[in-house]
Amino acid sequence: MSDRVIHVEELVREYPMGGEKVLALRGLTLSIRRNEYVAIMGPSGSGKSTLMNLLGCLDTPSGGDYWLNGQEVSRLTDDALARVRNKEIGFVFQTFNLLPRASALHNVELPLVYAGVGSRERRERAVRALTRVGLQNRMHHRPNELSGGQRQRVAIARALVNEPSLLLADEPTGNLDSTTSEEIMRVFSELHAQGQTIVVVTHEPSIAAHAERVVVLRDGKLDSDTRNRAAA
Amino acid sequence: MLSCSMPIREAFRLALQSVLGSKLRSFFTLLGIIVSVAFLVAVVAVIQGMNAYVKDTMTGAMIGTNAFQVRRLPIAIGLLSDEELKAIQRRPKLTMDDAEAVRRALPDAQAISIQSGWPTPTSDISHRNNTVGDVMIFGVTPDYQLVLDYRFAAGEPLSDPDIRERRPVAVVGSEVAEKLFGTAERAIGQRVRLAGREMRIKGVTARKGRVLGQSFDGFALIPISTFEAIYGRRLTTTVSVKMRNPEEIAGAMDRAQEAMRLSRHLRPAEVDNFTIDKADALVNFWRRLTKVLFTVIPAVVCIGIVVGGIVIMNIMLMSVNERTREIGIRKALGATRRDIRRQFLIESLVLATLGGIFGVAAGWGLSVVVSQFTPLPARITGWSVAVSLLLGAGTGVTFGVYPAARASRLDPIAALRAE
Ligand SMILES: Nc1ncnc2c1ncn2[C@@H]1O[C@H](COP(=O)(O)OP(=O)(O)OP(=O)(O)O)[C@@H](O)[C@H]1O
Ligand SMILES: [Mg+2]
Repeated sequence: MSDRVIHVEELVREYPMGGEKVLALRGLTLSIRRNEYVAIMGPSGSGKSTLMNLLGCLDTPSGGDYWLNGQEVSRLTDDALARVRNKEIGFVFQTFNLLPRASALHNVELPLVYAGVGSRERRERAVRALTRVGLQNRMHHRPNELSGGQRQRVAIARALVNEPSLLLADEPTGNLDSTTSEEIMRVFSELHAQGQTIVVVTHEPSIAAHAERVVVLRDGKLDSDTRNRAAA
Repeated sequence: MLSCSMPIREAFRLALQSVLGSKLRSFFTLLGIIVSVAFLVAVVAVIQGMNAYVKDTMTGAMIGTNAFQVRRLPIAIGLLSDEELKAIQRRPKLTMDDAEAVRRALPDAQAISIQSGWPTPTSDISHRNNTVGDVMIFGVTPDYQLVLDYRFAAGEPLSDPDIRERRPVAVVGSEVAEKLFGTAERAIGQRVRLAGREMRIKGVTARKGRVLGQSFDGFALIPISTFEAIYGRRLTTTVSVKMRNPEEIAGAMDRAQEAMRLSRHLRPAEVDNFTIDKADALVNFWRRLTKVLFTVIPAVVCIGIVVGGIVIMNIMLMSVNERTREIGIRKALGATRRDIRRQFLIESLVLATLGGIFGVAAGWGLSVVVSQFTPLPARITGWSVAVSLLLGAGTGVTFGVYPAARASRLDPIAALRAE
C-alpha cells in the first residue's frame, strides 16, 4: 500500500432511466494521495456528485474499481459500507444535513454513537471537534439557532470527529454568501495544513483556488487534472 | 470495525425523546392499547374481587358452612333455559312433611331447618319514634340459627315453643338493634312494630359484616309459623341441613334425596321434583359465569390490541416517511441497517409499552372508582398487570417490525434527497 488514499480505475456509474441508461460516469481513473487538497470542477451534470457519492461509499459503482486506503470497497455489502463511512470518511453536504431537533454537540457526537464510543469520550471528542471549527460557544444551539456558516462548521466538525482519512465536501459553500464561503474555505485550508486529505466539489474558481490540485470532469470523464501554482 | 453499533441505551433515549416529542400524537396512537389494557385490568380486578368475596363470605353468610339445601328450585336458576324453567315451575312447594322426612333420614345432622325463601320480604321496624327501614324478614325454625352459625350478642335464640305457639317474637341483627336502641343489650325485651304487628325482641345476633356493600346484620328472624300467618306459605320455602363435617355432606345429600323421593311417592322413572344444592352451587354458578367472562375478555382485548397495533404500525410508517432525511443522515454517518432497525423497533416498543403502562393506570383507576361508587369489590392482580405490560410491549415489537425493516432498507442517497 502506497500513500494513495483514493485510487479509482475505469469507474462507471449508470442510472436506469425509463428503458434507457444514463451514463453519469463513463470510465474514470483517478488517484489522490494522503494530505492532498483536490478541487473537483466541471459543468452541471458532468458527474461530480456521482463521483463524490462513490468516493464517500454512499453508493457503489456499476463498473470499475475503487480502493480506499488500499482496501477494495467497490463490492462491499450495505453494512460493510456503513462501517467504512463511519471510520474512514467525513462528508460535508451542500445542504448541511444536520438533525434539526438535536443540538450542535449531539449532531457532532452522532458518528461516534455509531462507532460505539462511550458517552464520556464521545462528549470530549465532540467538544474538541467543535472547538477546532471555532464553535465552542455554540455547542448547545440547535441548527435553526445558527447561521448558515455556523451550520456548515457544525457539519465539518461532525465530519472530522471520527478522524477520517478522507474529508469529502460536495459544494460546501453552495448555500453560503461569499464572505461566509471564504470563512469556510479558511477552515478547510487549516485542516489541510494539519494534514487532512480533502476533496471539494465546487463551481467557483475562487473556491477552487484554495486547493493544490484541480480536477475537471466533463460528460462523466476526466477533462483535465492540473496543479495550482500558488495554492492558498 | 466490530464495535460499530449503537448502544441499546442510546436507542432507548432516542425513542423516549421521539415519543415524548409529540405527546398528543403518541397519546392518540396509543388509545387503542390504553383502552384495551384498561378494560382488561379493570374487568379482571372486579372479577377477582367478586371471586374473593363469593368464596370468603357469600356462601358462608347465605347458606352456611358444611350445609346443603333441599329446595323447590335450584340456586343457579339463571343458567336454566326457558323450557327447563317451565318444567320446574310446576314443582310442589316444600312442606313440613318434607322437612320431617329429611330429618328422619338424617339423624346425624347437626341442624335441620325450614325457612322462608327468596325473595325475602322487607319491612320497617319501629320503636316509638325510631324506625329502621327495609329490614329483611326471615321466617325460620330454631335450627336455622345453627345452620348460619349465628352467635348471640345478647338475649337468646328462637326456640321450638316460639314456633309451636306462633309467638310474636323476633331475633334481630346487630345493625337493627344498634340503630333502634344503641346497643344489643338494650334491645332485649323491647316491643317493636314489625310488619304491622307488635313483636318482642328476644335476641340480637353478633355482627357478620358486609358483602357486596350489603349488610348481613340488617335482618329479623321470626318463627316460621308467625311468618306464614303474615305472608302466607311461600313457593320458595327451603330446608337447610347442616352436617358436622364436610365429608359427610355427599352421603347426607344422597340420603336426603332418597327420603324426599319416598315422601313424595315418586316412581323410579320419574325425575326429582325438588333440588338438592350444596353451598358451592352458588360458587359453581359464579365460576361458570366467570368462565364465560374469561373467554369473552381475551376476544375483546385481542380485537382492541390488534386495532391498536395497526394504528401503531401506521404511525410508525408515517414516522419513517417523515424522517426519511434523518435516516439518510444517520446512514451517511455510519448507521448500519441493524442500527436503524433497532432504533425504530425500540421506538415502537417504548411507545406501546407506555400504552400498556397508561392502560394499567387507567384500569387501576377504573377499578378504584368501581369499588368506591358501586357495591362491586375490585382486586388488582399481579398477573393481569404483567399480562397487560407484556401485551403492550409485544404489540409494539410485532407491529414495529415492518416499519423498522422499511426504514433500515432505505438507500442513503435517495433518503438524503428526500424533503
Ligand atoms: N438518481 C439518478 N437517477 C438518474 N439519473 C441521475 C441520478 N443522479 C444523477 N443522474 C444523472 O447523472 C448525471 C450526473 O449527475 P451529477 O449529479 O453527478 O452531476 P453534477 O456534476 O453533480 O451536477 P451539478 O453541478 O448540477 O451538481 C446527470 O445527467 C444526472 O441527470
Ligand atoms: Mg452535484
